[in-house]
Amino acid sequence: MSRRFEPPHDVLDDVAVYALGALPPADARRVREHLSSCEACAQEYARLRPAAALIGLSAETPGDDARNCPSTLLKPRIMAQVRSGKPRSDGRSAAASPAKRVPTWPAYLVAAACVAIAIISSMWNVALTGQLKQTQSELARASQRSSSLAGALADERSTISDLLGSDAKRYVQNNGEVVTRGSRAYIAMHDLPQPPRGRVYQAWTLPKGTTKMVPSLTFVPDAHGVAVIALPPDARTTAAVAVSVEPEGGSKQPTTKPILVVPLT
Amino acid sequence: MAGRGHGLRNAKRREVTDDADVLMALVREQDADAFELLYDTHHRLVYGVALRILGDAGAAEDVTQAVFLKVWNSPNLFRGGNFAAWIVRVTRNRALDVLRGRAVRNETELPEALPENEDMEEAAFARLDAERVRRALASLPSEQREPIELGFFGGITHEEIARRSNTPLGTIKTRIRSGLRKLRAALDEAVTA
Repeated sequence: MSRRFEPPHDVLDDVAVYALGALPPADARRVREHLSSCEACAQEYARLRPAAALIGLSAETPGDDARNCPSTLLKPRIMAQVRSGKPRSDGRSAAASPAKRVPTWPAYLVAAACVAIAIISSMWNVALTGQLKQTQSELARASQRSSSLAGALADERSTISDLLGSDAKRYVQNNGEVVTRGSRAYIAMHDLPQPPRGRVYQAWTLPKGTTKMVPSLTFVPDAHGVAVIALPPDARTTAAVAVSVEPEGGSKQPTTKPILVVPLT
Repeated sequence: MAGRGHGLRNAKRREVTDDADVLMALVREQDADAFELLYDTHHRLVYGVALRILGDAGAAEDVTQAVFLKVWNSPNLFRGGNFAAWIVRVTRNRALDVLRGRAVRNETELPEALPENEDMEEAAFARLDAERVRRALASLPSEQREPIELGFFGGITHEEIARRSNTPLGTIKTRIRSGLRKLRAALDEAVTA
């Protein structure tokens, strides 16, 4: 009568720790080699490995609490990269540089940069054509405007740097977030519907130590429902930021219930 | 633009297409809409695993982004089976890389692409959700559950677990094995319940 081979307990224990992924490299290599030649241990591994693989599911964050979820801007950031149509890598390149941060831009920044670059390009055309057709003074005005646009582009770069900075503070709420970095503060919103005719969105700030909201910029989202606003006040002296729908031209105090209220701590 | 002409064009179709295998087949054809649906259904899992391992929301977001771009860029790494278990494995490896500040993975972690028979084993549990796995884990005695969770989410070896808990190494290994056997039994029960 044949008897089934039973490996020593310590070997089976090592197989379990290997299935969990908690063995040091040298031991893991030894167990892996052993599994190819020991049926009993291979069966134990086959039994325990799916259980170990499912442990991660317990970490799924609940969807009913925004504090446990990633920023609402993460998805647009990823989808901007996906929809950019860049050729795929072969997979090895992604695995070969796991510690490198993937350089992606949020969709709204991609769109903003594209607009800026298009304007600059058209300025070059104007300048070249002007060499033939326009007077010296017209060229001077074009040059002045070009400088102004270059300045705007520099501001845009500064905004991108602030929004993507690892040291920026992010206050996420619903479909938007307030980002502060040093003295600068931004409101970034997505999936924002166009306001009713004759209405705009207006930002508000609450200076520290006060109880009255101060009117700030008015804005409308772009065609994709995205808006990024650089707030004028110093973020370090601002206690809260809000956004409401107001008549065109803005209001001196909110006339509708704010759609976004974010205390800055 | 990626996904145009191949996309899941309407919401109704989205509602019925919840099978990750089907979605991944579409992702292989560069269907950005299918990818978006995969993100919607799995981002809290990926982010949760990364957050549990790294303990930092910003770093967890970076890992979430990297994992999903890997899914998009290298969809053939998933060869069928339990997509959730696979993406957890990818996330865990990536998060441990960040935790250990390294660019090349040690051999400690399990490979992301599994042999076919192992994929089949995992597929049997494809319908288990987070809550049922949490309940199964909670059914383990703490002296078994804690070293298992430390080994999985802590990114440390059994020797380090033994040192931290001031417990003999052999005892820790035995507790991990006993705990995983009980966990497997509890998950089997959850599947058939």
